[in-house]
Amino acid sequence: MIHFVLADLKRFRLGSAVIVLLIALAVALGTTVTLQERALRLGSARASEKFDLIVGAPGSATQLVLSSVFLQPAALPLMPGDTLVALTEDPRVAWAAPIGFGDFVAGFPVIGTTTTLIEMTTTGFAEGRAFAAEGEAVIGSAVDLALGDTLVPTHGKQAEGGHAHAGIAYRVTGRLDPTGTPWDRAVLVPIQAVWHVHGLGHEAHDGHDHEAEGHDEEAHDADGHDEEDHAHAHAAGEDHAESHAENHGDDHGDADHDDHDSHDAPAFDPDAPLDETWAAGEAPGLPAILVKPRSIADAYRLRQDYRATGDTLAVFPAEVLTGLYAMLGDAKRVLVAVAVGAQTLVAAALLLVTVIQVGQRRRQIGALRAFGTPRGAVFGIVWLELALLFGTGILLGLGLGFAATEGLSRAFAAERGFPLPVAFAPGDLLGFGLLVLGAAGLSAVPAWLAYRQPPAAALRD
Amino acid sequence: MLGLHLSSVEVAYPGLAAPVLRIPDLDIPAGARVAVTGPSGSGKSTLVNIVTGLAPPGSGCVLWDGTDIARLPEGARDRWRGANIGLVMQDFHLFPGLSALENVLLPARLSRVADTAMKDRARTLLAEVGLDRPGQPVETMSRGEMQRVAVARALLRAPGVIVADEPTASLDPENGAAIGALLIDLAHRSGATLIVVSHDSRLTARLDRVLSLSGGEILSDSGCEGARQ
Repeated sequence: MIHFVLADLKRFRLGSAVIVLLIALAVALGTTVTLQERALRLGSARASEKFDLIVGAPGSATQLVLSSVFLQPAALPLMPGDTLVALTEDPRVAWAAPIGFGDFVAGFPVIGTTTTLIEMTTTGFAEGRAFAAEGEAVIGSAVDLALGDTLVPTHGKQAEGGHAHAGIAYRVTGRLDPTGTPWDRAVLVPIQAVWHVHGLGHEAHDGHDHEAEGHDEEAHDADGHDEEDHAHAHAAGEDHAESHAENHGDDHGDADHDDHDSHDAPAFDPDAPLDETWAAGEAPGLPAILVKPRSIADAYRLRQDYRATGDTLAVFPAEVLTGLYAMLGDAKRVLVAVAVGAQTLVAAALLLVTVIQVGQRRRQIGALRAFGTPRGAVFGIVWLELALLFGTGILLGLGLGFAATEGLSRAFAAERGFPLPVAFAPGDLLGFGLLVLGAAGLSAVPAWLAYRQPPAAALRD
Repeated sequence: MLGLHLSSVEVAYPGLAAPVLRIPDLDIPAGARVAVTGPSGSGKSTLVNIVTGLAPPGSGCVLWDGTDIARLPEGARDRWRGANIGLVMQDFHLFPGLSALENVLLPARLSRVADTAMKDRARTLLAEVGLDRPGQPVETMSRGEMQRVAVARALLRAPGVIVADEPTASLDPENGAAIGALLIDLAHRSGATLIVVSHDSRLTARLDRVLSLSGGEILSDSGCEGARQ
């Protein structure tokens, strides 16, 4: 029977190919939607795994997570540097590390942080070692640079109008193991370097006072962290507590990098030793602090406390992501409905085609019966032919969907730096089973028509 | 070899005043070679459908050696036909994409009765009908060759009856004559009852008995006349 079926399919190979293609495309659409949504969830969940609690200045919790976990560039408001000191000394905190943004190297974000964060959030170094001086940098696994390279950071992305910090250069001393997170695309430098590059620092008491004042303004000014505020910051002239972007805009407005000195802030010194301990009142403003609480109960208490202060915000990235997933889930439901609609249309079109085809094969089917072929065998032939087409189309569609998702994820990883793992889940079996069952049922319709057809049809013209 | 007895057979369709076939009584003894002639619309095809069990008559008995196939359910009728009737049709009804041998074996395979002996028999039959390339795809064959394949297929399961519906009508005279001779010869050798529906007077003239149909009834029966004489 299978031989006859294959010969028959070969005879109608063009039509068969078109049918298989239609099915494959419809199935691929549904597969891609399901897999891509899952990949986004898995990828982002993995990216936020090490980020238990993030403390930042009041503002958008989502933006705080996007900027610190996913390194999405944005001008964040700053919180007082003392927050870091307080958190470090808090008995409920296992460790806390600052995260400072704003600069870029060749399109890779430069993150100011501490060796503690590197130690606690990565599996180690692929080569080299951690930074030990102000002018040293550690690169993520996906950063296209080499050990010993000299990096000149730009403020903001070069492509978006950022410009180089004159006279400032980092030297790469280590490359981290891949973590599968956006941080693989980051250049990590001592936080003190970021402060000094931007003219902030604890030696400058005048400067610090400015910041404190500025911060207070900023903290109560929720919309004060917008790109447009470059101009505003410049006009205000003194607002150093804006995020780095605005702070820099200020500097740029003065068109004089020596301006750093005019604030009495310490200059960037690549050979200055690493200093990762801060006393109260010493640390400048910070956009974000990653906090590792000692226990889950501590995590909730810390979040409670740092929400209550009024000039800080504490978020669980997992919680923010859950909210985003809910939205993603809604979007997925819409897309799945669209995909199911497309599949239904294809199924209906195929049903039409196959019913017409059975009509056209009236004589062939009648002849088979006339020569004594049992009705069951006729049913089997027609059913098997269609089931083969459906089966091939479904498998091809699954492969196509998987490949498309892989492609999309790869493009996304290249763009955003964190991989979206594409994988089938056990739950997919149910959908797959339903699809196969539906295909089998659909194939039975024309097969039933053929089964019922009288054999005398072969002899009438 | 099976003998046929039809009694009170009538096939009528609603909306038609006269029945398309009405045969009160007909006997075809086992091993007979009978031609059925008549203009189109005379009921020849209906007669073929009835005697092969492709369609049940509205009323009456179709007895083949005591088996009333009109009473058999459809599945049983298919099985009976597969085992007892060798059909040769005007349009060959070969299946493209399969070789001559595969075509000969197809109905037996689909009925799950093909075994090694039957495969050997298929080869022998193809040789007997004058085809020496059993592996040749049928779509590459001439019409004469195709009908030879169809004849071999009809004979595969050594049916007791061979029914040929206009076997030469779509062939040139030369091939037509050859196929006619082949049918008569093979039926003779196997002892099968042969019923040939044909306009081809050269073919019908070679058969023992000629039934002429007109308007669904038997107009003349040379066998009966012969019996009377």
